[in-house]
Amino acid sequence: MQSWRRRKSLWLALSASWLLLVLLGGFSLLRLALPPRPRPGASQGWPRWLDAELLQSFSQAGELPEDAASPPQAPHGGSCNWGACFDTSKCRGDGLKVFVYPPSGPISETHHRILASIEGSRFHTFSPAGACLLLLLSLDAQTGECSSMPLQWNRGRNHLVLRLHPAPCPKTFQLGQAMVAEASPTVDSFRPGFDVALPFLPEAHPLRGGAPGQLQQHSPQPGIALLALEEERGGWRTADTGSSACPWDARCEQDPGSRQTQRRETLPNATFCLISGHRPEAALRFLQALQAGCIPVLLSPRWELPFSEVIDWTKAAIVADERLPLQVLAALQEMSPARVLALRQQTQFLWDAYFSSVEKVIHTTLEVIQDRIFGTSAHSSLLWNSPPGALLALSTFSTSPQDFPFYHLQQGSRPEGRFSALIWVGPPGQPPLKLIQAVAGSQHCAQILVLWSNERPLPSSWPETAMPLTVIDGHGKVSDRFFPYSTIRTDAILSLDARSSLSTSEVDFAFVVWQSFPERMVGFLTSSHFWDEAHGGWGYTAERTNEFSMVLTTAAFYHRYYHTLFTHSLPKVLRTLADEAPTCVDVLMNFLVAAVTKLPPIKVPYSKQRQEAAPLASGGPGPRPKPQAPAPNCVNQIAAGFGHMPLLSSRLRLDPVLFKDPVSVQRKKYRSLEKP
Amino acid sequence: MCASVKYNIRGPALIPRMKTKHRIYYITLFSIVLLGLIATGMFQFWPHSIESSNDWNVEKRSVRDVPVVRLPADSPIPERGDLTCRMHTCFDVYRCGFNPKNKIKVYIYALKKYVDDFGVPVSNTISREYNELLTAISDSDYYTDDINRACLFVPSIDVLNQNTLRIKETAQALAQLSRWDRGTNHLLFNMLPGGPPDYNTALDVPRDRALLAGGGFSTWTYRQGYDVSIPVYSPLSAEVDLPEKGPGPRRYFLISSQVGLHPEYREDLEALQVKHGESVLVLDKCTNLSEGVLSIRKRCHKHQVFDYPQVLQEATFCVVLRGARLGQAILSDVLQAGCVPVVIADSYILPFSEVLDWKRASVVVPEEKMSDVYSILQSIPQRQIEEMQRQARWFWEAYFQSIKAIALATLQIINDRIYPYAAISYEEWNDPPAVKWGSVSNPLFLPLIPPQSQGFTAIVLTYDRVESLFRVITEVSKVPSLSKLLVVWNNQNKNPPEDSLWPKIRVPLKVVRTAENKLSNRFFPYDEIETEAVLAIDDDIIMLTSDELQFGYEVWREFPDRLVGYPGRLHLWDHEMNKWKYESEWTNEVSMVLTGAAFYHKYFNYLYTYKMPGDIKNWVDAHMNCEDIAMNFLVANVTGKAVIKVTPRKKFKCPECTAIDGLSLDQTHMVERSECINKFASVFGTMPLKVVEHRADPVLYKDDFPEKLKSFPNIGSL
Repeated sequence: MQSWRRRKSLWLALSASWLLLVLLGGFSLLRLALPPRPRPGASQGWPRWLDAELLQSFSQAGELPEDAASPPQAPHGGSCNWGACFDTSKCRGDGLKVFVYPPSGPISETHHRILASIEGSRFHTFSPAGACLLLLLSLDAQTGECSSMPLQWNRGRNHLVLRLHPAPCPKTFQLGQAMVAEASPTVDSFRPGFDVALPFLPEAHPLRGGAPGQLQQHSPQPGIALLALEEERGGWRTADTGSSACPWDARCEQDPGSRQTQRRETLPNATFCLISGHRPEAALRFLQALQAGCIPVLLSPRWELPFSEVIDWTKAAIVADERLPLQVLAALQEMSPARVLALRQQTQFLWDAYFSSVEKVIHTTLEVIQDRIFGTSAHSSLLWNSPPGALLALSTFSTSPQDFPFYHLQQGSRPEGRFSALIWVGPPGQPPLKLIQAVAGSQHCAQILVLWSNERPLPSSWPETAMPLTVIDGHGKVSDRFFPYSTIRTDAILSLDARSSLSTSEVDFAFVVWQSFPERMVGFLTSSHFWDEAHGGWGYTAERTNEFSMVLTTAAFYHRYYHTLFTHSLPKVLRTLADEAPTCVDVLMNFLVAAVTKLPPIKVPYSKQRQEAAPLASGGPGPRPKPQAPAPNCVNQIAAGFGHMPLLSSRLRLDPVLFKDPVSVQRKKYRSLEKP
Repeated sequence: MCASVKYNIRGPALIPRMKTKHRIYYITLFSIVLLGLIATGMFQFWPHSIESSNDWNVEKRSVRDVPVVRLPADSPIPERGDLTCRMHTCFDVYRCGFNPKNKIKVYIYALKKYVDDFGVPVSNTISREYNELLTAISDSDYYTDDINRACLFVPSIDVLNQNTLRIKETAQALAQLSRWDRGTNHLLFNMLPGGPPDYNTALDVPRDRALLAGGGFSTWTYRQGYDVSIPVYSPLSAEVDLPEKGPGPRRYFLISSQVGLHPEYREDLEALQVKHGESVLVLDKCTNLSEGVLSIRKRCHKHQVFDYPQVLQEATFCVVLRGARLGQAILSDVLQAGCVPVVIADSYILPFSEVLDWKRASVVVPEEKMSDVYSILQSIPQRQIEEMQRQARWFWEAYFQSIKAIALATLQIINDRIYPYAAISYEEWNDPPAVKWGSVSNPLFLPLIPPQSQGFTAIVLTYDRVESLFRVITEVSKVPSLSKLLVVWNNQNKNPPEDSLWPKIRVPLKVVRTAENKLSNRFFPYDEIETEAVLAIDDDIIMLTSDELQFGYEVWREFPDRLVGYPGRLHLWDHEMNKWKYESEWTNEVSMVLTGAAFYHKYFNYLYTYKMPGDIKNWVDAHMNCEDIAMNFLVANVTGKAVIKVTPRKKFKCPECTAIDGLSLDQTHMVERSECINKFASVFGTMPLKVVEHRADPVLYKDDFPEKLKSFPNIGSL
């Protein structure tokens, strides 16, 4: 009985244990038995094969080299690419030479001015035989100039058909192997690396200069609308995106609370501009947004973005999928201030550099093609996509960004610690002995160049200095002063007139300042431009005022790159102007540097006594009785040539830290600057 | 299966004593049950982390054991590749709509073996490289095992090499994948496309809308923005360890090491060698190698034998000519050797060309210009060549080195297309780490002079010095360009004075009360700041004149990306102590301005509050000191530019104080400030401060010029 009871309890315990075991173990076994998902939540992953090491390689040993080679293939079908349809052998030597077909009939005023602008550029040639690119302008819809096939057509080889406005006339001849540069081509017809995508310009786009970007400050104003949407008839409205509904999607239209329409604007005032729909409207709005500094958000564009071959649009616009509106909106709302800041600024830079005028668009097109020809010595992506842009950073100058004055920060480099003094000796032709000694005394001076530019014979002896001294025989032209002489080996140039008078301290301090601002001009004497209401034009004054916009190049530091730019990128008309009116050359150089940097020059202290005594303020060469200002219309002529007024005023002067401070002179590094 | 887990027999048997003859039977039964319980318990409660780090849950099987799928001869075949496909036409982006963190999710189909009606396999089940590729995807953040959440599908059918598969049957195998749907959102990897005689440049397997990551695309077959051009993996990458060789001139100028070149090309190359002698080396297969030597690791010129790929490190430029296929594995070897590839393959789409800037790492020469190759290369300046050598090696390290690198770069490119607002930038793709480290991208890079009309917001940090605060407010309110005054009341124990007691000024005055007495409250990006320019000013800076402040604002407008301030300071390297030292004496240089009176862009408030590196912000709040030095570090680091000190040195606080700038001369104060500089320099990992020798004064400052005609006459005088 007892044993039975004991056995009973034992059995009970046993079966209970069994039950537990089955329950617990069963689960575990079940989990083990189901291979695809051993545990919910844990991903299984690709299996680690036991024999992974034994697997064969995808290319059996020796197969790759054994590949039988086939002879070169003929160009595929009718389509073209750069290698197959462009003959670069004609483009040897000094880069791209462009021949423009003369118009066959009467042409519009715009067409005429565009022609003139290309003819004035460094790309132009008058001989179709010597040209590497033959340009067929197709600008206006009305005139019939595009109906006839040009003479040197040659199946369109090495031709560029440039259409600023879409399809002005029906195709009357086959384009063949010609490249097409047209406004916002569709993605399907565009041949990447061969065709060029242009921006879609409005009819009244300025030819030269152009309106500057609208952005007045770096960061978006507080309270500015997040999103601007396109409206009928070319306007914009801003949308309140506070609610989570998608403000542009038709499905949300029923909800009146989700959007708030504000007054129509011709240019959008918002952080982001939503651009959907098809070209040409979308392409036109894209350009408006760019000018307004409103970050374009493109929803699945079916057209190629302008100059997409060289411009990195991811830095200035957002291309998103129209099928994910909520995600896009969320992404815009959550975008970091750093990214918004960068995108906004990039829109303005791109607008100013490549789009604000017809001339810029055409030059950019030619520059894109020239880059293809140049291959390795083309502009790098950095040069295209950061200020001042590829039109102002000539790739013929150098292929290394650190040689330019603009990219030291991005490159982590510094400008060289030495300078070359370039002394221009005009009439009457006294060797500037004192000046040479003062400059040679600077610890930063690397070499002295004397540009001898007058009737007198070269003096036989020059002062003894430790500095290497080179004499260049000039031709008497004022623009020679800014020629990129190969003998200049340093980044910095101290441009001097033989009659300038400087002390070694002044030179030293100015150079140290220049090293902080290598892209600007650092000068001693200044002048200003002003708007002359009475004459309805620009005026010029060299009087001492509380602000200045130019420094005189008779004593100024600047980067040697500006010599290259002056000689190779300025239109011929302007350089001729400088040669004919020598006093204009200062103004011209200041215009050039200001147009590139979009910043005023820098003034450093200059002993005022000598300032009065020396004729330094007179600028330019030639014996003159008194300090003489450039011809008043000089500023106006140059401003017309640039198409706008790039000069900016500054109200400050950079002095040594302890300049004229009430502390012992012994503590001061540039104490001779303070001598009365 | 894995059920054969071995359990350890442990623990004492706890069976009560029994006198029956069944004792042994019970004991056995009981111990089995108990052991089972213990084992189950252990299995159940074993820490999961250990379990998952073990390979317990990953199948241990052989590739030969995978399920076999029989493809009927008449099973459907996909359409040929659709050449018009673009992301917005052929890709179903809705599948990617719910992926968190802007990351696509990739599903990999299970491995199967496909055979035809007669049991003949369609292809090799899987190659070593494709297995590596799928493993890499599976180990990455992209992977999901949930087919319903996947945005991209990767078949396990290996099409890396077209020559190892039967085209029609492979296509049929693709078509029967469970989510095939015309190939939408399916990604195929192929490195060796085409086959004799015409060697197509894209995989010949009909694949309808599937994306193709292909090695050897030409412009005719590549669907821009849809397909991905990938490298042809070189197995030598894993086998040979070529240590990085510094850039610079090498023994040979140009080398050609490919074998099996078309005779026409070889003639051209040999002509180059004849013309330029020693500097050009044209190699070919070795014919006279002894037994046992691996022929793919040797190259010969006449009777001279060279080790491959080591010989590539002896050359500046290496020819990469197309063979029957455009994509060549040698490109990878060349990059690994830090040799600049000279790519001669018309219409070839270089690997990852959608994101990589090949101009920086290679020279592309048209086939018809092959005879000019030498002069083309010679025109490249030495500095650029060295840059290209570095870049070539970096491309290999980042994107060519392993199958994993290739797979992840491909997925990143597709990811960037789907989430463009989170895409990786050009610089991140292309800049080698050394450049990324050394370069500065100024957040305010656009040259822009903000309009004067905008004005500035003055922010006064105060605790309880009400009288001095009111004086500062009155002084600052005289500045013409002031547009708003913000008082940050940092005292939680005391209420700010009543509204009626505050000075009446012409601009809005706002008082912000803080939750805690922290120095960083001064740099918080308050919503009340509506102007870009901010003037930070202490509540005891009463000596700054209106002219000085207005001039400071004008200077800031010309330098909106810098700190523009009044009292200047310098950091110096103490050679004795071997660390940085803080200097407030009359020096000829400045590297910092005190934010007790300084203009700066309000964006720096955002950076200070949210992007300050390391623990600097907390450190400053804990020490109640050096917030100004931290701001100087931050701005200099992010812009790479120096501060601008404006106007001459003077006493900015109470005139009756003896020391210059009050407590600046205090010894312990100086020690603390030096500590700050050393601490911050170590957190930043560098010394970002820039030293300059200039300060900004009005154009006519101290000039012999009538004072009344000067814009800012009242400057520097006490």
